[in-house]
Amino acid sequence: MPKRIPRYTISFFSKNQPVFYGLLLLVVFFIPFYSFLGDFHERFMYISIMSMLYIVLALGLNIIPGFTGLLDLGFVGFYAIGAYTAGLLTLKCAALGPPWDILSNYWVIIPLAALNGALWGILLGAPTLRLTGDYFAIVTFGFSELVVLVIVNEMWLTRGPMGLPGIASPGIDLTFLYPITRFFFENPIVYSFKGRVPFFYLILFMMIVTIFIMNRLEDSRLGRAWFAIRDDEIAAECSGINIMRYKVIAFAISASFGAIGGSFFARWFGFISPVSFKFWESILILCMVVLGGMGSIPGVILGATVLVSLSEILRQVLEPWPDLVQARYALFGIILILMMRFKPAGLIPLSRVKRVMSTKDETILQTMNESFFSVSTDRKKLSKDR
Amino acid sequence: MFIQQLVNGLTLGGVYALIAVGYTMVYGIIELINFAHGEIYMLGAFLAFSFVTMFNVPFPLAILLSISCCALFGVILEFIAYRPLRKAPRLAALITAIGASLFLQNIALMIWGGRLKTYPKGTIPEIFKSALFYINDLKIAFCQYYLQFNGISITGDVRITLLRGDVSVSLLQYNILIITIFLMFCLHILITQTKIGTAMRACAQDKTTASLMGINVNRVISFTFAVGSGLGAVAGIIVGVYYNAIFPMMGYTAGVKAFAAAVLGGIGNIPGAMFGGFVLGIAESYGAGYLSSGYRDGIAYAIMILVIIFRPSGLLGRKTVVKV
Amino acid sequence: MSDTILNISELSKFYGGVRAVDDVSFDIQKGEILSLIGPNGAGKTTLFNCVTGLTNPTDGRVILDIDGRDKIISSKKQAFKPVIKPDRINALGIARTFQNIRLFNTLTVLNNVKVGRHALTKCNFFGAVLRSRSQQEEERSTLRQSIKHIVFVGLEEKILDIASNLSYGDQRRVEIARALASEPKLLLLDEPAAGMNPKETSDLMNLIRRIRDTGITVLLIEHDMKVVMEISDRIVVLDYGKKIAEGKPENIRNDKKVIEAYLGTD
Repeated sequence: MPKRIPRYTISFFSKNQPVFYGLLLLVVFFIPFYSFLGDFHERFMYISIMSMLYIVLALGLNIIPGFTGLLDLGFVGFYAIGAYTAGLLTLKCAALGPPWDILSNYWVIIPLAALNGALWGILLGAPTLRLTGDYFAIVTFGFSELVVLVIVNEMWLTRGPMGLPGIASPGIDLTFLYPITRFFFENPIVYSFKGRVPFFYLILFMMIVTIFIMNRLEDSRLGRAWFAIRDDEIAAECSGINIMRYKVIAFAISASFGAIGGSFFARWFGFISPVSFKFWESILILCMVVLGGMGSIPGVILGATVLVSLSEILRQVLEPWPDLVQARYALFGIILILMMRFKPAGLIPLSRVKRVMSTKDETILQTMNESFFSVSTDRKKLSKDR
Repeated sequence: MFIQQLVNGLTLGGVYALIAVGYTMVYGIIELINFAHGEIYMLGAFLAFSFVTMFNVPFPLAILLSISCCALFGVILEFIAYRPLRKAPRLAALITAIGASLFLQNIALMIWGGRLKTYPKGTIPEIFKSALFYINDLKIAFCQYYLQFNGISITGDVRITLLRGDVSVSLLQYNILIITIFLMFCLHILITQTKIGTAMRACAQDKTTASLMGINVNRVISFTFAVGSGLGAVAGIIVGVYYNAIFPMMGYTAGVKAFAAAVLGGIGNIPGAMFGGFVLGIAESYGAGYLSSGYRDGIAYAIMILVIIFRPSGLLGRKTVVKV
Repeated sequence: MSDTILNISELSKFYGGVRAVDDVSFDIQKGEILSLIGPNGAGKTTLFNCVTGLTNPTDGRVILDIDGRDKIISSKKQAFKPVIKPDRINALGIARTFQNIRLFNTLTVLNNVKVGRHALTKCNFFGAVLRSRSQQEEERSTLRQSIKHIVFVGLEEKILDIASNLSYGDQRRVEIARALASEPKLLLLDEPAAGMNPKETSDLMNLIRRIRDTGITVLLIEHDMKVVMEISDRIVVLDYGKKIAEGKPENIRNDKKVIEAYLGTD
């Protein structure tokens, strides 16, 4: 018999984890209906939408330092690429007749923006991911600055500093289903986003999908390869992991999430200009990841929510002094310094996440029991059984 | 046009070199990219300006005060933000540096407001320029003689015109060049001939052994920051006077470009930083002159990216040795 | 060459003036335990690094026998010829441990070992996200195999512990389990007994014997002479980068050159 079947108990929290998250989701889901908040409701909706957008962005950025251990200072470059892809496609393609006007359809734009982001991620990543941490950070920074410079200067494409106004809101056009729906509804189903509520649900959906993808990635061959690279590159390489390939993949995925966030931003705000894509956006998002805990998904979500709320609250509070409004970022600078000094692992450190939140232990225990059984009955065959 | 851009480039380059040296010295000794260095440069400009306009301090004294304050700030910054993270992973130190930079930029914004600051007429330039003009009198006389001999005339007392009027070098530009070259020469002497300079080089190579040899490593690091910050402050003051425009964001672009210069010359290598500064200044000048001026900043970024990808050790350098 | 699994031929690695490995040649037979010994700095780990692709030799070649065919896995770097990187060498069947244990410190023992199976699996991003049938099957297989190897080294009690929390001896075993998980034909162990007490050392020796019994060839760097003498089938001795002796333990024990270079017992 094997020595002992390991006795790992699963904490109350992780056992009831689905319940906890389900409740949270329920509360969040009905935010648009909380009219009891009165005047604050509009503001709250805005903050929620911004928070969720930044959660998507922060989770995208999180892949790089959290999973591969590098520092990406140029994330805003991909955010900008996504936003301008969406903006330009929407504005320019709507006028062209079918079939090209399908490109102004937001649901088509999302994957296109993601692909564009991934493409630039690969282009930037391939020559640079072999550099050491400091240099890589600098190069990514240079890249994002160049992106903004191109946006500002290529007026024929992007209208430079004047930006792109009048980007249409997304819509759901089910006219092509009319032959079926005409039995239920008189007119073809065409819905156009108006007001904040549809955007809220859209970004909520996108956020949930993002979280879902991140969780799946964590517990997969790909995720393990990334963690291995982060912890010890040499050992990872000698265990059969092609370092460059996985770094590039991580970068491309990170870039595509940035681009997706950018596309949402473009279609929601309706107006984009180089001003929204300054370097300090990258730092802000980085701040969220650092504050929450690099690599830890719940941490990043918390960090993003806290910082967006803080930013908005400060904006509100400091309204009488316009100069101070911009300067509220001084606080973020202090946050970064203090976090690195006292709690570099973040508010919800990755290690704690891994220990507390893993319900997959049960499956493992089951499989282990099976294995131990087969091991105990036939220990000798183990050596031949490959 | 060609020579004119060269002159402009050298002036710009001198300023970049001063800032770049600060980056490179710090990186050479503690392997940290001091993101906040650009902000020290900006503070240098602001402090000198404030001393002159708000406290009516005579300009030369304001310069000295500003330099001292910035050197002090550099030391304090190192003590508060970087020293505790000496043993931490590089990522943490880098993020701290970014945080410090963010903080300082916005503090400046809070204190001085976002609008452009200009030196009011009569507060410096004449005193500044004429004082140096006086010191340079002999040099000018010599130049005058030499240039006249070669068919070049010096017009007025503020501009030197060469090559039949195609090129004009303002006295200010000339002075900037003299100042920067002089300062770099002093730095060279400091690094190579003095005891503290040798200590700096020793620490850059191997801190543990240096401390075993009796060098107080912390003191040396503080001194490095002080010197780097002081030079950065000088650069800030110069730019403040030269362009007569001071604003909180100025540290950002100048800082990045100076960093590109440091990388170009080989980070950790002081002559490399000086060299890189001049090269970058000239490149930017020509680029802005002959290519589009909108991409002026982009030249620095592009150079930086290309150098890092293709030749990370820079044109002159090996990062480990602070060789002069 | 039918019994030789690895052929090291005139291998040299110079770092400037330092000759870390100097014209070393020897073969490793299938199924044997071969020990590589020599004073510190004799070039043993450098040789490992050449074999596993972490460095390129200045001269000479390393040839691996794959199902009867020879493949040069390490040779002098030539222009336009891509070098074989360590991950490819792992896929070809060579695994190793490191002198200063290199584990993935934030991962559990189980995940550390799962990483070892990387080269044997192939799921990518889409598989991970969509959890296709084949992906789930692959994950289950990875889990089963990893558990098997963890049981093999005797760490089943600590399977979900974070690697950095383990004792030194256990960390060693995790490293070995991870290496075994990639199902190598040849296992390179770099000073596995370093820092172990006598009980741990004897457990380790049993483990190495059991590994060999499963059909894996073992190449061992070790300083502990007791271990070396007891479990090696053959020994190769290096000194200052050169091979100074090769043969069975009893011959090496009495070899004059070896005794001259060093022979410590503990």
